Amino acid sequence: MGLSRRTFLKNTAIVSSAFIVGFYLPVKARADEATKETLRPNAFIQIDPDNTITFLMGQAEMGQGTYTALAMCIADELDAAWDAVQFKAADIDPVYNSVFGPWMLTAGSTSISTKQLEMRKVGAAVNEMLKKAAAKKWNAALSDIKTKNSHVINLKTGDKFTYGELVADIKTMSIPENPELKALKDCSLIGKPTRRHPSEAWAKVTGQTEFGIDVRMDNLKYAAVLHPAVFGATIVSFDPSEALKRDGILKIKQIPTGIAVIAEHWFQAKEALNHIHVVWDKGEFANVSSDDLRKEYDTLLNTPGASMRHDGNTAKAFKEAHSIISADYEFPFLAHAPMEPLNCTIHHTGESAKMWTGGQVQTVYRKVCADILGLKPEDVEYNNTFLGGGFGRRAAANADYIKDAVYTAKDEEWPIMTLWTREDDIRMGNYRPMYKNKARLALNKYGDITAFEAKVVGQPVVKDTILGFLFKDGVDWAQWDGLTDHPYSIMNHDMQAHSPSSPIPVLWWRSVGHTQTAPLVEGIVDEAAHKAGIDPIAYRISMLDDLRCIKLLLDVQRISDWKNRKKEKNVGYGVSIVKSFGSIVAQVAKVKVTKNDFKVENVWCSVDCGFALNPLNIENQMISGINFGLAATKYSEITIKNGEAEQSNFYDYLVTRISDAPEIKVSIVNSGEKIGGIGETAVPPIFPAVANAIFDATGKRYHSLPIKIS
Amino acid sequence: MTTKLKIDGVTYDVTVDDETPLLWVLRDHLNLTGTKYGCGAAQCGACTVLLDGKAIRSCATFLKEIGDKEIMTIANTTDPLLKKVQEAWVEEDVPQCGYCQSGQIMNATGLLKANSNPTEEEILAEMNGNICRCGTYNRIKNAIKKINAGA
Repeated sequence: MGLSRRTFLKNTAIVSSAFIVGFYLPVKARADEATKETLRPNAFIQIDPDNTITFLMGQAEMGQGTYTALAMCIADELDAAWDAVQFKAADIDPVYNSVFGPWMLTAGSTSISTKQLEMRKVGAAVNEMLKKAAAKKWNAALSDIKTKNSHVINLKTGDKFTYGELVADIKTMSIPENPELKALKDCSLIGKPTRRHPSEAWAKVTGQTEFGIDVRMDNLKYAAVLHPAVFGATIVSFDPSEALKRDGILKIKQIPTGIAVIAEHWFQAKEALNHIHVVWDKGEFANVSSDDLRKEYDTLLNTPGASMRHDGNTAKAFKEAHSIISADYEFPFLAHAPMEPLNCTIHHTGESAKMWTGGQVQTVYRKVCADILGLKPEDVEYNNTFLGGGFGRRAAANADYIKDAVYTAKDEEWPIMTLWTREDDIRMGNYRPMYKNKARLALNKYGDITAFEAKVVGQPVVKDTILGFLFKDGVDWAQWDGLTDHPYSIMNHDMQAHSPSSPIPVLWWRSVGHTQTAPLVEGIVDEAAHKAGIDPIAYRISMLDDLRCIKLLLDVQRISDWKNRKKEKNVGYGVSIVKSFGSIVAQVAKVKVTKNDFKVENVWCSVDCGFALNPLNIENQMISGINFGLAATKYSEITIKNGEAEQSNFYDYLVTRISDAPEIKVSIVNSGEKIGGIGETAVPPIFPAVANAIFDATGKRYHSLPIKIS
Repeated sequence: MTTKLKIDGVTYDVTVDDETPLLWVLRDHLNLTGTKYGCGAAQCGACTVLLDGKAIRSCATFLKEIGDKEIMTIANTTDPLLKKVQEAWVEEDVPQCGYCQSGQIMNATGLLKANSNPTEEEILAEMNGNICRCGTYNRIKNAIKKINAGA
């Protein structure tokens, strides 16, 4: 939606002495739902008379650097003094809604690609007003006025106003609808490597940042929840008498999701969980283990599934093939394991409520709270804190940890923080699904791929969620994304999916479908290159029409000095390229394989996200994605035994540590194409880059993750 | 029972069961929330504080073990080495979500107090107990190497 369709507004009601600019705009709704346009107020910039400038952020900051990047857009156009800018998480309002639908959602690496232009225009509009207001006061020509560091300056007289001194004047002005934006060459922040904003960075290194777990208020009580270990199990009866005798325990009650213990202090509540005696109805899933799921998925793999892509004539291509490559893949359930254990604080005060949590999907979480308490959403005051990691987990489709907190605090006199243990986090599901996939390539006598068959079996992720519109014709977005739209020029496709179900809830996990499609596509294409006897980069280039992809492969070839790589014993190099979330990332991994183990020593990473708004943060996100993806490449898996997750904490759900981090070199290619996402895009290519490198080192293909050297 | 605790130069009297981990005394009894809960099992290092200058996991250290030792947390404003580490963290653009960084910084401070010029191997060995899911490890390494702890 272009800015021209919006009507600016000034909202001075919120803080009477301050000036807040925002828009009235039609609520964004998907075309199939939008019947009429609703008008609502909102705000992005607040200027106080003392020249304090605050940006109101609708996107959640979970580490991806979105506060800094969006603030760069506003501040550059506004000419605000960068270091002095302050941030405040915005209240829930449709103006902050996501590109996906009528709710606030920070996901899909979309914050910058969908909001940067809007934020620049907001900054530019206010800048124009400030100049006009000063010109009027000084009776000066606009051409004699400039702005710098939150001041308007009269170039002829040297007179200055702070922005704050002009608040009263701009309150009565109309807001320009099409403010002029700076040329990129005149920007001092946009496009320049910019460290995380000092106010956020310093709060984070001094322990001052308020995460959800840090919310404190008078009379706050804490809760822990006893959950069933077996997925789908229910409570028959329980005896809390022993637990109730313990110090600090205020109340123990059954809630739909388990048994909540409310205590003066959280450690008391958590310890009391061990003293509640429960009779469970474990249900049928108690007989299920990972091997049973494997068998079920294997059966599905051998039956026709829902079609994801069907074009050309694959049967003919395989019949005429010079050679055929086939591979089977298995990827386990994965927990997100953000460092801040999941939590939510609720104060239910009869006809209204307040909630505090760090959420990626504020509007939905507020509605979950309101529905359970029998309130209207607008009667719930929602406060979004900083997020101690998200990776998709804090946009829980089933709102599991939010529901725990709301049921626990419902009708109670105190504000209550419900905090999950790490064990809850690892064992309660909302995993990246387990997948069993199959793929086949037909090659002609030149080694070109003539047909691509694939079958994906895994629980659907978006079905029955707010992103349900991405589940179409029996196929889930997380099943096809990156597979059916792979970048290679191939004429014949037959790709199918199966959607098994289980009581294990599944969820989007950083880079979503690409976590299972990237290792498949970039693994089997690497096999084709080997079969064709052609260098893996040269082979990919020969199979690509996409010029951006070709240029990026050449870039990663250059920075990794690919052509001069040395053949050493037990050392291998692997390449991969993945388009995701509007960007392209190519990686070369250097891996050293030892007996039963491997170490990723170097990763060279080239990224084309169209335009690099904050090159330093892009580098940080590439490093982040690589180290995050390496965990699932090498270590992480959730396995099921007798209906329970077998893992429970970081001693058995392993993740990357500092000694695992490879040397990483990042190269940014500013292609000038449409700006794309960053937060998730470095994750997918690392899986196949490492697997391909291990093949290069050992001659053995590892199709499944995590890779266990044998 | 009442226990005296010296934290960042301030003495507190706390009336808490002495089988309570120090982490929860800091966070919930004293509302000193800079020190973080990550795993409760000494696996992730988010709860790291210094006890008489030595890095410990406060989630697995009970109140009764503290005695009269001085506790230093991320909120300390007077320790010059901690200040240097924090400055290096900002300079190297380390924090992403930032949740684990209290523990990372305290662990690095403990490391540098004992060894002002650690080798790469020593850094990896000493920092390996601190998990960062954002994967800021490369920046952490750079930051620690940059700090001139002796000066």
